[in-house]
Order: sequence, then structure tokens, then C-alpha cells
Amino acid sequence: MRAALNRARARALQEGPDLFAFRSRRRCCRFQTWIRDARSREMWNQGYNESSMTGGYTQSPGGFASPSLSQGEKKGRSRVSQIIPCTVSQLMSATQSDEAFKVGEVEVSQVTLIGIIRNTDKSMTNIQYKVDDMTCAPMDVKQWVDTEEPSVDGSVLPPGTYVKVSGNLRSFQNHRSVVAFSVKPLDDFDQITSHMLEVVQAHRGLGKLQTSAGFGTSEHTSSAPPRGPSGAADSSYAGARDVANNGLSATQNQVLSLIRGCPDPQGIGLHDLKARLSNLSMVAIKQVVEFLSNEGHIFSTIDEDHYKSTDCDL
Amino acid sequence: MSDIIFGVPRPRINSSMMSRYINKVVCFVGRVERVHPTGTAFAVTDGEGQHVLVELNFSLDEELSGVVEVIGTVSYRGTIMAITFQWLPEENGNNFNLELYNEAVKFIHRFPEHYPFNMAAGGSDFF
Repeated sequence: MRAALNRARARALQEGPDLFAFRSRRRCCRFQTWIRDARSREMWNQGYNESSMTGGYTQSPGGFASPSLSQGEKKGRSRVSQIIPCTVSQLMSATQSDEAFKVGEVEVSQVTLIGIIRNTDKSMTNIQYKVDDMTCAPMDVKQWVDTEEPSVDGSVLPPGTYVKVSGNLRSFQNHRSVVAFSVKPLDDFDQITSHMLEVVQAHRGLGKLQTSAGFGTSEHTSSAPPRGPSGAADSSYAGARDVANNGLSATQNQVLSLIRGCPDPQGIGLHDLKARLSNLSMVAIKQVVEFLSNEGHIFSTIDEDHYKSTDCDL
Repeated sequence: MSDIIFGVPRPRINSSMMSRYINKVVCFVGRVERVHPTGTAFAVTDGEGQHVLVELNFSLDEELSGVVEVIGTVSYRGTIMAITFQWLPEENGNNFNLELYNEAVKFIHRFPEHYPFNMAAGGSDFF
């Protein structure tokens, strides 16, 4: 099961660079799709890179899809697991209550930033950057230096370098900073463009999702897949809710809902899917399943005929 | 000195938005077309295909080509008085897509509340 997931991740990673390969193709059409897909690709690349880089840190592969899920389970202090592309201005103006930060209605903890390093300061234990994305004054970004493992992280990037920062938003004595687990120089400046689009997309999409979470429960219940007696009830329900916002076709959503709704640890089989979706041919189902797998929504489990949603806990 | 420049928001704009930002500090990305023989100004084309003159208060001491990100003040004459600029090197055939960048600039201006160029929540007043 884990091997299959790793395979899916590797595939998602390989597809990463493809993101900008569309320049030569029909731009308009690809542009649309790209905006739609950027969020999920981002989540994959980020989730994979960073969890592998920091060892102990595990990123829920469900990443971006889970805010609605945490919404339903707010009682216990749920850890926000999504990575939100942000501007410095948003981070500086984020409201804080206890440990949680909010930009508008969107809870932010793990963030990505893109900006130019204006100042670099290295000490024994950490590197302090001032990262400027033009939206307001530069942001303090701190990266701890792992003295045990003086690998890539120990190298200091000079001022004037355009970087992508991934890290956690922190506040200490009223001073905001980002504690970074990755500060990488941009090798492709189109990432500036994509980050701008992703910021708007993430905050628009998630803002809507979280403000509407209180209402509209009944309209979604009907689309919730049949679920088993296990504790998967909440997640399959929440899964069905964000379905409307994920940019998939009706058929793809239908298949994804069924896969998400299956409480079986080995996932749902293609034959079960076929039995539930009598209006679809086996070929069509296989195509949808392959698409969802390539996009990272699902992964194969015991064999190539059984699938589980990446949103569920393993 | 740098703190003064970098302490303020510098909205990313294109040539058709310049008239709304006269006397304001902006961030402008364009491709260098030619450098004035004196080295104190250069012309760039932005993603709209418009030429904009960037004036410097110093003289360039080396050649300049490719894509630059200029931070400067928009003048009454429709030029940009550069405070600083950043060269975006295009390596390994990774050409910067100016047209796409221009679309993104227009896009973030449609949603100033989700891409604010100031620190107040909401931020729509700025535009």
C-alpha cells in the first residue's frame, strides 16, 4: 500500500516540471486547466518534498482538500494540514487567536511565499533572511541549521536571490516570522506568476468553502456516498462537500466520492465501482480511475484493481 | 536606505495601469529592448506589448538584456524612475512568459482582497 502511494507520489513529482511546458501548446485552454490543477500539483510537490526533507514531519497527502474536514471536527484542536500560498501582506495582517492564524476566513499555518532575499544573516544555529514579495515590508524568515547534517540546508543564499519559502507562520513577542523548512532559489521565474495565481485561488476557494461550511449541509448530504459502519462517516461526508470545488467533471467526482466513501482498508474494487455506476462502461471507469490516480486523488492498494482515496488517513 | 524603499507596498502593475499610479512606487516587469547610449535609461516591453522607458539615477556599467523587475516611481511623463531593479536570468531555455505574467497581474488586481498590496485586511482601498 505504501509502495503504491510512493509510486503515485513519484509520478506526481515527475509531472511537476511539466507545469510550465505548456508555453508552446495552446495556451488559453491549458491556462484554464493549469489554474485548476495548480493547487493539487502544488500540494503534491510540497507534501512530498518537505516531508522527505525534514524527516519527522509528516504531511497529510490530503493537503489542500482537508480544510472542510477539520471544520467538521473543530472540537479537538485539529492541526491544519494544508499548505497555503500567501503574500507577506496577508501573513502580517493575519489575525491571531491562541496559536492559530487566520487570513480572512482561511486558517494559515504552513505557508509558501515567493520573494527576493533582501538581507541574509547567518549565525551558528540559524540563517535569517528578509524575504520581499513587494506586498509590504520584507518578512523575516528563519531557517534552522542542522549541525549534524551540514548538507544543502547549511548553504546561505545571497541577497538578490529569488526564492520560494515553505514554512510555518510564527509570532513571538508580537513579531511575525516564518520558520522555514525549505528556502529554494527559483530556477524558473514563471513560478512568480504561478504563485500570484495560486494565492488568489487558494484564498478565494478556501474562503468560500469555510464560510459556507455552516450552511448547505443538507444539499450535500444527498451526494454523500453510501458509507460503512466504521468511523469514516465524517471524512466521507466532508469529502463529498469539497467535491464541488475541485474542478473535476461530474463523472470523476462520482467515482471519487465512491472511492472516498469506501471504509474498507484495501479500498474499493473496480467491479464494485462498476456495480454502483451501472450507467458507465468498465472502460470509462478505468479511464476515470487512471486520471484520478495520475492527479493524486487516489492510489492503488492490494492490486491495480483496488483504490483508496488519498484524503483518508492510511 | 533600503528599508525605506522595501518598507512600502510596491504593487505589481502593467503599462495600462500606470496612469493610476503616478508618483507611487510600483513593481514593473518587462523585457529590455534597448539601452540608451548614456546608460542612464533603458526601454522595456511589458506583457501588454507596450514600450515603457525606465530612467536611472545612475549609469549602467554593463550590458543589460532579458527580463528585469524594476522597482521605481511612476512619473507624470509615463516613465518609471527606477530605484532598483532585479534581473531575472533566463537559463536553460527557461524563457520567462511575460504574457502569462501580465494575465496574472490583471488577475490579482481583480481580487485585491485576496492579493493585498498593503497590510490592512481586505486591502481594497489601495486600488
